Amino acid sequence: MNRGTLPILARLHSLQTSARIVPGGGRVISEATDRNPVAQMLRVMNETMLARSLRFVSAAGPSLTLDVAGRRVLRVTGAEGLMGAETCLATDVLEDEHKDELIKLFQGVALVREELHVFSGPAGRGGEEVSIGLPVALLADLLLVDLNVTEPDDDPVELPEVVVPPTPAEIAAGETGLSGFASAVGPALVAWLIDGGAEAGRTDGPEEMVSHLQGFLADERDSLERQFDSLSAAPGDAICMILGAMLVEGHSIVGARIGPSILLGVIEGDATTATLGAWRAALR
Amino acid sequence: MGVNESLGAVVKAFPQARLVAFADLSSRMILSSMGPLSTTQEYLDRLCDQARTSFDDPLFSLSVEAFGEPNAAVVMGPDTVRVFLRSDVEPADALCCICDHGIDLPAFVAKIRTTLESITHAG
Repeated sequence: MNRGTLPILARLHSLQTSARIVPGGGRVISEATDRNPVAQMLRVMNETMLARSLRFVSAAGPSLTLDVAGRRVLRVTGAEGLMGAETCLATDVLEDEHKDELIKLFQGVALVREELHVFSGPAGRGGEEVSIGLPVALLADLLLVDLNVTEPDDDPVELPEVVVPPTPAEIAAGETGLSGFASAVGPALVAWLIDGGAEAGRTDGPEEMVSHLQGFLADERDSLERQFDSLSAAPGDAICMILGAMLVEGHSIVGARIGPSILLGVIEGDATTATLGAWRAALR
Repeated sequence: MGVNESLGAVVKAFPQARLVAFADLSSRMILSSMGPLSTTQEYLDRLCDQARTSFDDPLFSLSVEAFGEPNAAVVMGPDTVRVFLRSDVEPADALCCICDHGIDLPAFVAKIRTTLESITHAG
């Protein structure tokens, strides 16, 4: 098939798909059984040529509002129930440096096993400037999503090789260890690193924060092990500790040990909601 | 409401809380405790020491450097969750709690914070 026809076929396919409207005028774009709600979200954005405000709402509660035009995400104008949206919300024009945080927001709202709805309205501001923002195609590439699927996603014969980006809940269900813990805590864990063991060297977050944590661990790893041992039933036991002023807001420090690996990180916002489940999953 | 009644109200509201104890961290003493977990004095002493350790270096220094003095700690092991909360106004006053993993941690932290405030202000 000529690749040039794929976007047209994809658009025709979406037009043929019967829409289900939810109260308030929203449209269901991903069912609870859908394997890849982030892909559906990206496809909706990719079909948006004229400037529109798209509000994506998960049946689980979180919502994300974006100004979209010309197959580009111009800016984030609203985020509810999502951690780590501050930088994107604060910027008037999304740029390359925002793409990782934006993707985490997508994954936070497009949850597997939850319906995803979209509400469309007039663009917030400056929507006519379509030469700015992040191209949907770029975001789709990063997530290994094919925007031009011409058949339903639930048809295994016609499915393209799509790698489903794991949600925190999926990771919690399927991945163990400290990397799994970090992923399951989600975007609230704004910076982290793992030292020791098979997962050594894994990091995420702003470089200056990670580098500060690295420096701390380089100096204090032994004393941190002793602190963990004092709090464990036996030396070397698995342990996770969160220390904060309030725990439910502001910043908290998280330190965790499983075997020879130690994770050190910074949690922004509520450190109590996701960590317990993430820790249980990490110990499986 | 007295200290025992306040601690008892927490245990009643959160069945997954197996022990809720009020401690004086400066004298390393548990002054009162409630909950279904049967404990010895040595166990309570160790719990109080763990609260002190939680608010100690090296993580304490890292926290102070990063965002200020911490007053709350959650320590998760393979089987239980321990929550230690210090008073903002009287840092020696603390609640030391042992909970099952099934606890609603955000709600529990909020509850013990108001409980500790009421105990500290009453004292």
